[in-house]
Amino acid sequence: MLTCRLHLKDRIRGSRICSSGIQRTPIPRQRFLLLILLLIFNAEAGAQEIKITAENDSLLQALEREMAAAQPRQNTPRFRPSTNPDISIITDVRSWYTSQGPRNVDAEVHEVESSFRSAIDPFARADIYVSMAHEDGEFEFELEEAYLTTLSLPYRLQLRVGKFRNTVGKINRIHPHALPFVDVPAVYTNFFGNEGLNDQGASLSWLLPNTSFYQELTVEVTRGPGESESFAFNEGNRFLYTGHLKNFWDLSEDKTLELGLSAIAGPNELEQTSWIGGVDVTYRWKPLRFNTYQSLTLQAETFFSHKEIRDYVVKSWGMYALVNYQLAQRWFLLGRFDHSDIPDDAAWNESAVSTTLGWYLTEYQKLEFGVKTSWGPTFDQTYQGLVRLVFVIGTHGAHEY
Amino acid sequence: MEEMRKDVPRHLALFALVLLVTGGSVHSPKTLSVVTTLPDLRSITEEIGGDRVDVISIATGYQNPHFVDPKPSHILKLSRADMFVTVGLDLTLGWVPPLLTSSRNARIQPGAAGYVDTSIGVPLLQIPSSVSRERGDIHIFGNPHYWLDPVQGHRIAQNIHDALVRLQPEDQDYFTANLQSFNLRLDTKISEWKAKMLPFQGTTIIAYHNQWPYFEAAFGLEIAEFLEPRPGIPPTPSQLAKVIRLMQQEEINVIIISPYYKPDAAELVARNVNGKVVIMASSVDAFPEVKTYFDLFDYNVNLMIEALDSSSP
Repeated sequence: MLTCRLHLKDRIRGSRICSSGIQRTPIPRQRFLLLILLLIFNAEAGAQEIKITAENDSLLQALEREMAAAQPRQNTPRFRPSTNPDISIITDVRSWYTSQGPRNVDAEVHEVESSFRSAIDPFARADIYVSMAHEDGEFEFELEEAYLTTLSLPYRLQLRVGKFRNTVGKINRIHPHALPFVDVPAVYTNFFGNEGLNDQGASLSWLLPNTSFYQELTVEVTRGPGESESFAFNEGNRFLYTGHLKNFWDLSEDKTLELGLSAIAGPNELEQTSWIGGVDVTYRWKPLRFNTYQSLTLQAETFFSHKEIRDYVVKSWGMYALVNYQLAQRWFLLGRFDHSDIPDDAAWNESAVSTTLGWYLTEYQKLEFGVKTSWGPTFDQTYQGLVRLVFVIGTHGAHEY
Repeated sequence: MEEMRKDVPRHLALFALVLLVTGGSVHSPKTLSVVTTLPDLRSITEEIGGDRVDVISIATGYQNPHFVDPKPSHILKLSRADMFVTVGLDLTLGWVPPLLTSSRNARIQPGAAGYVDTSIGVPLLQIPSSVSRERGDIHIFGNPHYWLDPVQGHRIAQNIHDALVRLQPEDQDYFTANLQSFNLRLDTKISEWKAKMLPFQGTTIIAYHNQWPYFEAAFGLEIAEFLEPRPGIPPTPSQLAKVIRLMQQEEINVIIISPYYKPDAAELVARNVNGKVVIMASSVDAFPEVKTYFDLFDYNVNLMIEALDSSSP
């Protein structure tokens, strides 16, 4: 494989050494396969290779000019030579009150998440998130995500391999500390589990060749999640399949609209099949000129589940809708309505109304105050109060839009 | 005959390979598609690239360059770009890396021929000797607002020129001629701007955010204090009181701010000291009349002169 790669590059550079070698190779079918593989993985890298050689002359000249020009003296280096990844550590501390249960006031360090992110080489990057999560008085180590993302596949494809939050819905990809509310919507916890859908496998996304608006199609195959209400790891060769189509429009400089469609299929704990379909809509208003002072987000998601349980199918659904208004540079006020069945029992359901006031002291620290009331046909109305402090040290993290 | 038939799949495969590998350059047009982070870089790229480039900027001129939202529509533009021009350093750290990763475009990743960091060779100011967030949002490499010194326009233009030549060597003469013309015009204008500002050498002013050290150095102004107590931390009452006292003591009359900061705090201070708030163009496109890199300094220099003239006794 390696030698053939070298040969390919030599060929591109116009050397004849390899091509004569190829003429003598007696197994065309194998080579055909190799070529296909090379096409897929190396086409883009190869294309770059030629350009650089063709431009060597001008590049050299530019470098010479650069060196000839007197360089200003710097009092410290422009960067510290290091191949360490970007590291950041995020701590999520919570306190709450609930109107039910014997111990109804508590506080915890909910999670300490460390992230390590870096390019691996010119062709891929790595993102690793490990978390220490509080679980009944103990802290448990958990690998939250660890994946490689390709940077140079042809045809605007991108491959992600490893453990990752599945690309379904709008908020499943977002880590809980980055969400503008403390508690995850009921439809997510009821359908996917407390951590959302997070599994191991491969994810291929394709930027559609649509020039009028953004369209991205993502398909994933993962081994089957450990904990989820809808899906389960299967002892046989059955996997979890997901698909997501993201559509995004700039309505104006200040307004954007996103529409996402999700489909998920996989085995459940009874070795039968569960299907989930979902729609997510996000409208955002954020004036460009004063974008740090004011914004408004309207967001809604709904999921429909078909779960095979022995000889019948349970059809259930859930949704949430929220309004998030930025009152001032550091203040956000959010209101949310939740309604959700559970995939096992369409007769059971819960509804909730909650509000969260967020205070973002800086980009690295936020405090959130939430109140929530939940009700359903099978349980008494409950009230909750939540306070969350999130703080970040280390490299500046990237924002998701 | 048998031999030839055997060869058919092989030839087809090779043909497909050649098509794919060269695909990028075969349909690469004479005009390079360029995406820049800031409109200032767009303007200079247009100067050097002329009609051989098609340039768009991700950020607008009236937007805070530290906080640009990485919208999917930007990914779409980057996915088709031949060249990406960025201010570099850590100004755009919050939004450029995720956009580049999502662009799936190997031509513009850091290290590729189409990735242009215009800060290369720029003598930076305010390079910190140590870094801690206690001091607010400080820039670890030095202050990144270097395009506000027109002399650095030469360096930016040189970096862009070198990249254009690297990507399209057949147009080298054209790009170099444009660079020379740009440098000549810029030098003439720099003398003009400096002459205009000469009477105000050493004048002390106040700024909202620490983004003007290059402008300050270029035109001999002195920024005595900022409305932000520390970079990136919004003005606090105690800081405003401090600024008011300083302005009264030192007889400072002018506060400069960028269009993307709400002027309330600056106006409050100005009312207290009978001073003036000047909304400067922090980038090209900050205001409709600021269309090019030359307009940027024409606008700011004229505005500055007007403010300093009227405020001097």
